[in-house]
Amino acid sequence: MSGVAVAPPGARWSLRRLSPRAALLWGIALVGLAFVWASTRGAYAIAPAQLWQVLLQAVGATPTTEQAPEYLVFINIRLPRLLMGVAAGAGLGLAGALMQGLFRNPLADPGLVGVSSGAALAAAVTIVLGMHWLPDMPRTLGSWALVGMAFGGGLLVTALIYALAQADGGTRMGLMLLAGVAVNALALAGLGYLNFISTDEQLRNIQMWLLGSLGGARWSAVALVGTIVAAACGLGLALARPLNAIALGEAQAALLGVPVERTKRLAVLVTALAVGAVTAATGIIGFIGLVAPHWVRLVAGPDHRVVLPGSALLGAALVLAADGVARTIVQPAELPLGVLTAFIGVPLFLAMLRQFRNKV
Amino acid sequence: MLRDPMAVQSWGPGGARRLLLRGVAALPLLSAMGSGAAWAARPARIVSLGGALTEVVYLLGAQGQLVGTDTTSLFPEAALKTAKVGYTRQLSAEGLLSLQPDAVVGTTEAGPPVVLDQVRSAGVRVELVQADHTWDEVRRKVATVGRVAGREREAQALQADLDAQWATVQKQVAATTRRPRAIFILSHGGSPMVAGTGTAADALIRFAGATNAITQFAGYRPLTAEAMASAAPEVLLNSTQGIEALGGEAAFWQRPELALTPAFRRKALVAMEASHLLGFGPRLPAAVRELHTRTQAITT
Amino acid sequence: MSAVAASANTTNTTTTADLLVCDQLGVGVPGRPLLATVHTQFVPGRVTAILGPNGAGKSTLLAMLSGQRTPRSGHVWMGGQPVSGKGAQALARQRAVLPQDTVVAFDFTVQEVVEMGRFPHRQQPSHHEARIVTEAMEATGVAHLAGRSINTLSGGERARSHLARALAQIWEPLPDGATRWLLLDEPTAALDLAHQHHTLALVRRWAVEQGVGVVAVLHDLNLALRYAHDSLLLAPGLAGPRSVHATAHLLTPSTIAQVWGVHSTPVWAADGVPQYLVAAQ
Repeated sequence: MSGVAVAPPGARWSLRRLSPRAALLWGIALVGLAFVWASTRGAYAIAPAQLWQVLLQAVGATPTTEQAPEYLVFINIRLPRLLMGVAAGAGLGLAGALMQGLFRNPLADPGLVGVSSGAALAAAVTIVLGMHWLPDMPRTLGSWALVGMAFGGGLLVTALIYALAQADGGTRMGLMLLAGVAVNALALAGLGYLNFISTDEQLRNIQMWLLGSLGGARWSAVALVGTIVAAACGLGLALARPLNAIALGEAQAALLGVPVERTKRLAVLVTALAVGAVTAATGIIGFIGLVAPHWVRLVAGPDHRVVLPGSALLGAALVLAADGVARTIVQPAELPLGVLTAFIGVPLFLAMLRQFRNKV
Repeated sequence: MLRDPMAVQSWGPGGARRLLLRGVAALPLLSAMGSGAAWAARPARIVSLGGALTEVVYLLGAQGQLVGTDTTSLFPEAALKTAKVGYTRQLSAEGLLSLQPDAVVGTTEAGPPVVLDQVRSAGVRVELVQADHTWDEVRRKVATVGRVAGREREAQALQADLDAQWATVQKQVAATTRRPRAIFILSHGGSPMVAGTGTAADALIRFAGATNAITQFAGYRPLTAEAMASAAPEVLLNSTQGIEALGGEAAFWQRPELALTPAFRRKALVAMEASHLLGFGPRLPAAVRELHTRTQAITT
Repeated sequence: MSAVAASANTTNTTTTADLLVCDQLGVGVPGRPLLATVHTQFVPGRVTAILGPNGAGKSTLLAMLSGQRTPRSGHVWMGGQPVSGKGAQALARQRAVLPQDTVVAFDFTVQEVVEMGRFPHRQQPSHHEARIVTEAMEATGVAHLAGRSINTLSGGERARSHLARALAQIWEPLPDGATRWLLLDEPTAALDLAHQHHTLALVRRWAVEQGVGVVAVLHDLNLALRYAHDSLLLAPGLAGPRSVHATAHLLTPSTIAQVWGVHSTPVWAADGVPQYLVAAQ
């Protein structure tokens, strides 16, 4: 990282922070650890020795003609779910960090731009009214239609909120916040209305979708969401230094040569893409976007060159851990993931606050 | 048993590969579950997603094959002790597979579809019964379970018995001429949620020789007090669980929206256990008979 | 470009490429009456103070000089090009602005804030990025606070941290030799006495030694007399377009009485610098 100065000799680092490199290495280690742990957990018992055999088989190191049930369960069910968890956590964590940097406020979360409520509304519309419009939708296409509608709905609502925030030739963050509150309320009301006119079955489907779950992860969905999240991370990381300067205020950042409007537009776009894709595929997983960036800041400081990738890594680790618990704690059933992310995230977050309370 | 009749339906992306996997997976899946036995003779391990289907399993004497049930499978009591796979609309693929079933039976409510596809691709037979609130639905359930459990003969016997019961009940209902107006109340929020057309409760009411006073909408909807009064039900139907949730029959009659109904004057309430009343299973003839008898009695 | 009135502060060696020129610049906020018209040029290598009572348009003028505001009328030229036509990136390499106050979101350290000043140079970083940041902090006396969170510092320490950031922004001479400009909006407002003098002495040294053009909005007449070579007076009730004059000539007791409504007595400091003792009229 060019441009990062070291502390002048003799100066005391009063804030005990991880260095950027250490923070990122810790983040990668955390994701790796969570991935390994989560891959050994599951309702279908796979002993570590069997898991090793499965991995060897997967890379072609063991020539076998038949595939053990462990192989099928791991490769077709568990592995795509783990990878979807990584993508979901990374997308949500990154989006949360972007929103907090953009709004200059640690309480911001990706839902402010309306992508989650837009996706939820579009999903509910598809579930309730989809059958009226396209009654011959085959079943497999049916679930892709839901994903597509949810993604489109998320982007549409975000575009609306972004448009409402335009004033005096620029994007006013205060306006965006208020527009977001209003449009979110409207989407919620729309959701309520769809709840009202839905049949019993549709209602349960809507509720289940809203609670969030990685259960529907197929390789095709993983590839799609993973690509979008990877692209979002690539674009988002380029915003790190501009977001640092924006912490001085938009006027000051502009005086430093930061392309403030372009930065805002890009940040909102990346958030909408990442969170839209994740929400479309998995329903609403809350709390990650709010907590992961805050946590990284507590440990490694507010430099966005660390906070952006760190939030993605920590988000991935959190989702992997939460999902690992969600699918084993009441096996053979599973808990909705959104419930777990709060149950796991909140105590850890409070513990961290207690540890670093003098820095808040 | 491993030639999955639902195979055609599950061909999505990678269908050919899946079919190959399914065929190849079947053999080791079997051998993992019990070596040596001729597979044609070994009884299938079954997961049942639906209270009515579970009841049929027990009636066919196949409870030894039952390895898991869903949350609505509450009857008979022994079913409560089986492994619970969760809510039928939100299943877990690994969870189902960890029970190592040969077959999964459920209604078309079972889901999510992706999970069922994953289960099928692991070589498990998945049979779903269409729920349309008719007697045929019960017949389909009996036939499907019999087929999957390998007890077709017992299933046919059960079917004959149930058909006879059904015929008796229908004669009993046809013999009475009075058709009391009834409303089924699902739950009490600010306004009570009542059953319109197209619901299981609506079908039960018709089977039992009453008329559903709610004809203006389909599904379960909240009803205002005025609408309840103008619907003028002579008898109110509820589940015993619903009455208990309110705190008893006395508490039920204190609900203000009921005060203007004809049913209120005579305290005409018929409460039956939910899965018995609405399960659309083998106990349907008995449920209809009881409902008919009690509604006729309470509205004379 | 119309002819600009020659003033005593232009030397023979400066060219238009070096000047910051206000060409019939209308100072005012849209929708409100015009406050003043400025028609003058600022010269590099000298400190020019912008003086006047509150509400006279000093900060507005500074915002127009920096390119933050578009002029109501007239033009601002920096190095021969109109400021409003320059891209934000190019401007940021050429001029640094120190605003009156800056609220920094999150827990950035002083060092990180000063590093933000190097943002305009991120695509062509100097060979000495780390050293620039360090030396800028030492120059304004905040090096010992490098690791402290800026929001935990006192007002004066924060002001000096942001000054270090502004200095870091234009630390190195431009490759084409164009003038660097330092625009300061009340840089001494939060500082204690020692630091007020230290800071203004520092920016004066920058101007004289490095040829940087310094324009500072000041409230304190005596500081202006001591540290600002020239001054521009903005005040309601003064006739004609405003222009830059030598500070000592501009600030006479009658002018001070007219603009600020106070009685002033000229005195001389031990080193010969004219100062005023001010009292109410």
